Amino acid sequence: MLEVLKIVAYTILICIPAAVLLYLTFKTDDRRYLFIAVAFYVVFPVVVTISFPTSLSPESITLYEAVDALPDSSTVLLTFDYYASTLAETEPMSRAALHHLFKKDCRVLTVTTIPLGGPTISERVTRDLAEEYDKVYGLDFVNLGYKANYVAVLKGMGSSISAIYPADNSGTPLSEIPMMADIKNYDDIDFIYVVADNGIVEYWISIVQSQYQAQVGCGVTAVMAPKIYAYVSSGQMTGLLGGMKGAAEYEKMVGHPGSATQGMGAQSMAHLFIIVSVISGNLMFFIDRKRGRKRKLS
Amino acid sequence: MSWVEIVQIWLVAFVTLSLFSFLYKDNPFYRLVEHIFAGLSAGYYVGLIYHSVILQTMIDPMFRNGEWWLIFPGILGALMFSRFSKNYGWISRISLAFVMGNTAGIFLLSELHGKVLPQVGATMRSLNPQHQADGWTGVLLSLLIVVGVVSTLIYFYFSKEHKGVLGGVAKVGIWFIMISFGAHFGYTVMARISLLIGRVQFLIFDFGNSIKELFG
Repeated sequence: MLEVLKIVAYTILICIPAAVLLYLTFKTDDRRYLFIAVAFYVVFPVVVTISFPTSLSPESITLYEAVDALPDSSTVLLTFDYYASTLAETEPMSRAALHHLFKKDCRVLTVTTIPLGGPTISERVTRDLAEEYDKVYGLDFVNLGYKANYVAVLKGMGSSISAIYPADNSGTPLSEIPMMADIKNYDDIDFIYVVADNGIVEYWISIVQSQYQAQVGCGVTAVMAPKIYAYVSSGQMTGLLGGMKGAAEYEKMVGHPGSATQGMGAQSMAHLFIIVSVISGNLMFFIDRKRGRKRKLS
Repeated sequence: MSWVEIVQIWLVAFVTLSLFSFLYKDNPFYRLVEHIFAGLSAGYYVGLIYHSVILQTMIDPMFRNGEWWLIFPGILGALMFSRFSKNYGWISRISLAFVMGNTAGIFLLSELHGKVLPQVGATMRSLNPQHQADGWTGVLLSLLIVVGVVSTLIYFYFSKEHKGVLGGVAKVGIWFIMISFGAHFGYTVMARISLLIGRVQFLIFDFGNSIKELFG
């Protein structure tokens, strides 16, 4: 009974603001009411913690299974090819990936092709997770940091990683890092896990996957996802995480619900509101047009 | 929570709220933060490039390992600055020609080998249900992809007027393009809402906790 009452209360709480704010938007033609509505439907589920079930997509399952199938202690290259502006979508992917990799005792090598924020984010996230799993820098993971000219970097790492990155992100020469002793190029890397918010992900396919036959899987922002599906169905990309939904799926599979899982309630509510807005906006348009015709005829 | 962390969180919250204030209308807070971002990015980028490119891949190998041949790419890079001169701007074309030739060579191979050929191959999948993982469903999906690719390509074929059969197929192409735009738009909405969620989570949890820490 209490559950039913709760659902009814939530439905009223959810529907009334939408109706009022949409009415005000149409009446005043002021889009700021729409901003208020979107803000309400994002803030409300975060504060009240409304959660929706997260179903798994075949692409994210493929990625999870590919990483899971790697032998323990494999070497994985994890990329942080994203700016701070898309952290909400991409950081949960990197965190979930690191949970999975550190659980499997994989050796993790990180790189970034993003100058603004990339090296800082990769250091912060990897060191944070490494502490949780008692991983040692230089033995279990290494942050190579940023190098300019991503085409030269991606191509050059196929011949020699140390030629492109003579030192790691902190300036320690690679020759002094034990983990790097037997990692010379892509041949020594078992899986490349790209997390990106820009077109660089396509170069990981066209340069690294196709020319060096490396196994590449990726997590990208939702804006990028539709384009990348083509590479998944052609078999060039091993699995895909698309946006915050993809991150929530991976968090669910690794058993570490984080900020993406937490954000799915707000995401679903905001989407419902946008769908209602699009439908009611179109209805209003047709009603206005009909009224206009009648006025002309009279 | 240390004082440094609290100051950091308050600074981030101030910047976030200043940027959001633009949704109401343009204001001095928004412009201040926008200018700070542009200035900081430029400064950080210059410092990073100097350290990671000029110092690590040119000056250090030259003076420590005696790799003096690196002076040539260094000179090519320096020539780019001639663009600032009206009389000697043409010199920068030497460097540009090198970059263009190099890039064309790399991309010609990677685009063809990594994108065009595998994608064409994937489009022409076998129509034999035994070769398809999903059986007849796979065959239907393969056919749908072929129809989509062919009709979209015909829509962009402008050497003949779109009439008759050609016009009909081009119209099918438009439908495929529209559905693709819809999918892209849907995903874009999802992406933008995700970014807003990220900021809201920060303001409610991180900023909220710092307020509690200070006043509660």
